[in-house]
Parts: sequence; structure tokens; C-alpha cells
Amino acid sequence: MHHPMPLPSVPLIPTPKGITFTGERPEFRKLVTRGAWLELITLGFYRFWLATDMRRHLWSNTAVDGDHAEYTGTPKELLIGFLVALAILVPIYLAYFFLGLEAERLQAFASLPLFAFLYLFTQFALYRARRYRLARTVWRGVRFWMNGSGWSYAWRAALWGVWVFASLGLALPWRAAALERFKMKHTHYGNLQGSFEGKASDFFKKAWWLWLLCWPAALFIFPLPFIYAVFKAIEWRWWVTGLRIGEVRFESDLDFSDLMGFYWKVIGWIVLFVTIFSMWAGIVGGIGAAFMKGASGPEQFASVMQNPFVLAGMGLGYVMLALAFNVVLRIYLMRDLWAKIASTTVVHNLSAADEVVAQGDAVNALGEGFADSLDVGGF
Amino acid sequence: MSADSDLTSVASPAPAQEPAVISAIYYDGTSNRKRQVTLSPGAALDIVEDGATVATWPYADIRRADGGRNVRLSCLSALPLARIEIADKAAAERVLSFCHALDADHHSKQTGKVVAWSLAAACSIVVVTLFGIPLAADRLAPMVPYTVEKRIGEAVDRQARTLLGGHVCERKEGQAALDKMVDKIRVAGGMTSPLEAHVLSTSIPNAFALPGGKVYLLDGLIQKANNVDEVAGVLAHELGHAHNRDGLRKIIQTGGSSFLIGLLFGDIMGGGAVLFAARSVIDASYSREAETQADGFAITSMNALGRSPRPLGEFLVRITGKSRISTVIDSHPLSADRLDRMAKEDHGSLGEPILSAAEWRALKEICVDPKKSDGGV
Repeated sequence: MHHPMPLPSVPLIPTPKGITFTGERPEFRKLVTRGAWLELITLGFYRFWLATDMRRHLWSNTAVDGDHAEYTGTPKELLIGFLVALAILVPIYLAYFFLGLEAERLQAFASLPLFAFLYLFTQFALYRARRYRLARTVWRGVRFWMNGSGWSYAWRAALWGVWVFASLGLALPWRAAALERFKMKHTHYGNLQGSFEGKASDFFKKAWWLWLLCWPAALFIFPLPFIYAVFKAIEWRWWVTGLRIGEVRFESDLDFSDLMGFYWKVIGWIVLFVTIFSMWAGIVGGIGAAFMKGASGPEQFASVMQNPFVLAGMGLGYVMLALAFNVVLRIYLMRDLWAKIASTTVVHNLSAADEVVAQGDAVNALGEGFADSLDVGGF
Repeated sequence: MSADSDLTSVASPAPAQEPAVISAIYYDGTSNRKRQVTLSPGAALDIVEDGATVATWPYADIRRADGGRNVRLSCLSALPLARIEIADKAAAERVLSFCHALDADHHSKQTGKVVAWSLAAACSIVVVTLFGIPLAADRLAPMVPYTVEKRIGEAVDRQARTLLGGHVCERKEGQAALDKMVDKIRVAGGMTSPLEAHVLSTSIPNAFALPGGKVYLLDGLIQKANNVDEVAGVLAHELGHAHNRDGLRKIIQTGGSSFLIGLLFGDIMGGGAVLFAARSVIDASYSREAETQADGFAITSMNALGRSPRPLGEFLVRITGKSRISTVIDSHPLSADRLDRMAKEDHGSLGEPILSAAEWRALKEICVDPKKSDGGV
């Protein structure tokens, strides 16, 4: 599936084209480590620059038939999108507050249904954030773009969500298929329209036994990463294979063993970090206790914990822990997963995308801003 | 992308080399057709296809674009997605040597600026959170109409009562005693806004004031009290909250501080934890200040009634224990410190008792007869 040379001429017999990922792992590791420190120094504001750098790395190192994609978004767009989203969200939050107040007067906790609105808004933000990222994705000098109403997507997502909840998760494949159909129908590459042809029943047939297994497995916790890896592998493969851009098709031979490694490595790192953090906390607390004489038992524990030096030490440890988590998650579950999915995917009938006329505009980053301020941002 | 270039004034370093052929792929920005072109570097970069120049890019406008291993270029004065890709390294180097503004818009050069601006923004947010918000709450709270505050109080009221699970005790004699106590303290403290006080049949020893002038004493508190002055002191403290409109100020402060801190941290550190910790510390510091002020009100009004505020302090210590340890997340000042303050302001109990012995008994028995209460209105 690996094609050594990008040939400009169209082969007469359509052979599947490969997707390759050429990014150097150490380069990405340096990028996210440096980014984590800068996020710390800037108290989080660097996230717009880091997100852009990570996307540029992932996009530009992904090549379809030898031609590398390009991410044209800028951090400034994200920052402005975030600020505008805040300006819009403040009146919404205030309205939400007063509506909740009125509802509570009529009946205690009557404001809870307002959470439904927040869920709806989150789905809207996710759709619009996808639209932004797609509009910044360029391949062979032509951008992807998206239309369709974010609210109309949000309604679907919410109603399907209720149905999935009511069916204890069994309706998940149908939700995924319906939402993916909606998203892909509104996805375009130049003048080519996308579509999604994955069948919910296929997904269901491959994954239903996992649903049965996960209930007893939840009791032991230990098998859950295995089940999750198998489920994600089935889901990704089904998703990639269902994608269409015009007549272009995709096919994935992702295997669950590919994903299993990532999840266990992440778990391993997290266990390591938590162990180190506990040791650090023990040392800091021990030193604190050595300097504090007098009271004993819980009283002494409390007095050690409120010592400003101990507090600062614990805080420092916690911040380091959080930074390390972020770096590990970004390396394994973002970069490695991306690289794996890209390299296990082949493209059929790519020549159908040979004479594509550019269309669509570079929409603003407001959707990303909403997603960021609701804390649901993706890549 | 900022287009700060000037197309005309740039003096190109007129190349004197022999016109070697540099082959490249050109995307014109209107379609994804790969056009095989040659580049000829002259006064500007000419893009030549089949002997005809199809586009000319001024060197000052040429920018580097992400293109994996190949060199990929864009041009500010061409269509936004028009691209040139040069696979041959040496040829690419030759073209790049003419372009002097390749990375002008690249943001990695701005990291220092980003850090500086972020720190400035963070400082201003911290200053606003610590000083601006309490000030805003102090100024805004008196401007909120009383009816609005009452509405907020009613909303919180239902929640609070549902969570505590008790019902309102309505035994007439007890309520009359409570009302008498409230009136005496209001007059003594110079309080003008309307106020309602009720007892809830819950065994937790506590009391709270809601926005809109509603105060609840929990029955557990009354049962734990040894004398009238202890209950009166607690009631005076809660009336102090109502007098200072602390409920309303707290809503403004919490709303403002959580918004600003959310702005600051965004999604760093997996969101929640840092945000929550920072908010608890800030809210608690606002709250300790309000508690100290409410204590002040209680001390003044008790002394005005000729009753010592000391029993209130002793009662607090009895309920919370006499720990001398305070932490930054405590919402109240230390009970022991509060007792010290009240002992210092103890001018003796020379005035007449706030309630008669019979009234005190009635207050203690306000929740006794369940038939008379109608289950939480």
C-alpha cells in the first residue's frame, strides 16, 4: 500500500493509493513538550498556538498518493474566535441564569432541563469546529469545506443521544451512522460532495458482542482497555470504509492490536506518573511534618497540609502531573493514533478527484471558540 | 494572514545566473490540477507552462507553506491557495535564495510576544478577580432592586429546603418568640429592609440567610443552645448577612470570578481541578470577609441590646471545635478567633433578657408538634 513515487500521470488500471504519514516522532514530542511548558507559563493562552502547531505537523506530514496535505489555520484566528465566542456566550449565560432562576421559583430543580440546552449548544459547537478545521484543510491546492446548519446537526445529535441512552448504548451504531451521513453530506472537497455509506447494521453486527461483554468486564476493570481497543478498531474501520468524497472511496485494515498498544502505554505512563507524584507528595509532606512538632494525629496532618510550603510543593507536583498527562495523551492518542489510522488506510478510485474545481470559503473560527469555551475542543 | 507587503517598491536582487530550468508543480488556486511548470527567476518569479508565462510572483510576496518534505510556496498577491511545489532540493534552494520574506508571517517567531502578552493578560485578570470583583459586587448589590433579590431568594429557597429535607416549623408561640427576637435585633442594628425568619426541622446545628431577606435557623441549632443569647447572637449574625446583602454579593462575585478564571485556564490541565481549586480559594476569601462583617453587625446589635456577644463566640466554638488551624479554603474565620474578638467587645449583659423564660421555652419547642406544621408549604 506504500507507493514510492508520486506520478503525475493517471494510471490506466485504477490501483488503490496509499496514505502515508511522514512525521518524525521526536519532532512532535519536542513540539508538545515545549508547548506544555509554554501553556504553563502563559496560564493556558498558548493553547491556540500549540493547537495550530500540532495540526500543522499532523496535516503536512500526511500524504495521499504522495501529495502532502496542508493546514492553513492560524493561532490568531483561534484566539479571535475564542474572544468572539466569549462575547456571545456571556449574554447567553446571563439569560440562562435568569431563566433558571424563574424555573426554580416555580419548582425546585426545574432548571435542570436547561442542561439539555447546553448539550445542544455543545453539539452545535462541535459541528462548527469541524467546519473550521475542514475549511483550513488543503490538498493539491484545493480546500475542503462544509455547509449545513449546526443547529440542525445539534438536534439530531441530541435526539439520537436520548435514544442511545434509553437503549443502554445499543442504538450507538445508528446514531453514529445518522450523524456521519449528515456531516459527510455537507462535506465537500472543491466541487466534489462527500457522503457516508457505512451501514449501521454492519457496525452493529461486528460490535454487539462487545456490548454484552462490557457489563461483566466493568466489574473487573482490567479487561476494559481490551474491549475499548477492539471497539475503537471496529468503529474506525467502519467509519473509514464508509467515507466517500465524490467517487473516491477509502478502506481501512486497522487491527485492534494496533490500538491496544497505545492504550496500555498510556495507562502505563499514567501509573508511573501517579506513583512519582505520590512519592513526591510523601516527601514534601514528610519534610513538612519534620518541621512541625506538637499536635499529633489528624490535627498534625491538617496543620502540615496548610503549611504554605507544603501547599506550594503539592501544587507544583500537581501541575507537573497534569503537564505530563497532556504530553503523553497528545503523543499516543493524537499523533500515534493519527499516524496509525493514516497508514492503515488506502484510497480507491482517487482519479475521480483529478479535475476538482475550487469552491467554498475559509469560514471563521467562531465554532472553535465555542468548543474551546465549552471545553469540548478536539484536535 | 496579514498582507503587509508592498508589491512595487521591493528592489529584487536581479539574478545574473544562466537561466537553468527549475521544474515544479503549480496549483493555480482554482483547481487541483497538477500543472507541470518551469520557474524562471527574473525580476520576479515567472511560472512558465509550455513556453508561456502563466503567473508572476513578486519575491517579497512569496511565503513558505507546509508541504511535508517538498518545498511548497504560496504568494500573498496570488490566489490564497495557489501553490508551487519544488521536489528537487538544489533547485528549491536556488528559488528560496531570492525570496527574502519567506517566514515573515510564521508565528514561531512570536513566542516571546505571546508569552509577554499572556502574562500581561493573566496579571490583569488576577488583579480584577482580587480587587475589581469585590468592588463591583459592593457597588452593584445596592443597585439591584429589592424585588429582583427577592426572586433570587425564592429560587434558592426551594432548593435549600429540598436539600435539607426539613419542613418549616410553625408553632404559633415559638414563631411569635422568634419574631420578637428578630424585631429587637433589627431595631438595635438599625436594619430597615424587610425580613422573615423561620425555623426548619433539621437536626443540623446551623443557620443561613438567603438573598431577599429570608433567614433560616435550623432546629438542631436551637436545641444545642444553652441560652437565649446564643441563639440571638447567631440570628444577629445572619441578619448581618441580610443587612449587607451578602447573598446577592456572593452571586455576583462567584459569577464574575468563575468567568474570569475560566478565561485564564481554558482547557489546560484537564480543565476542572485547577479551576475548582482557584475558585474555592477566591470564593472562600470573599466569604471570610463577609463573615467578619456579619460578626461585626452581630456584636454591635447585641451590645446595643445590652447583651454580651460572647455567648455567640462560645456557641460557635462549641459547634465547630476549637481548632486553631485555618486553611485558605475555609469559608469562615476560625471560631476561636471569632470568640477572641467577641470576648474583647464584651460589655456585659446588663440589659433585659431578649426573651422571657416562657418565650425561650416556646422557641425551643417550635418544632415539637408535627400536626400543626403543614409540611414545607
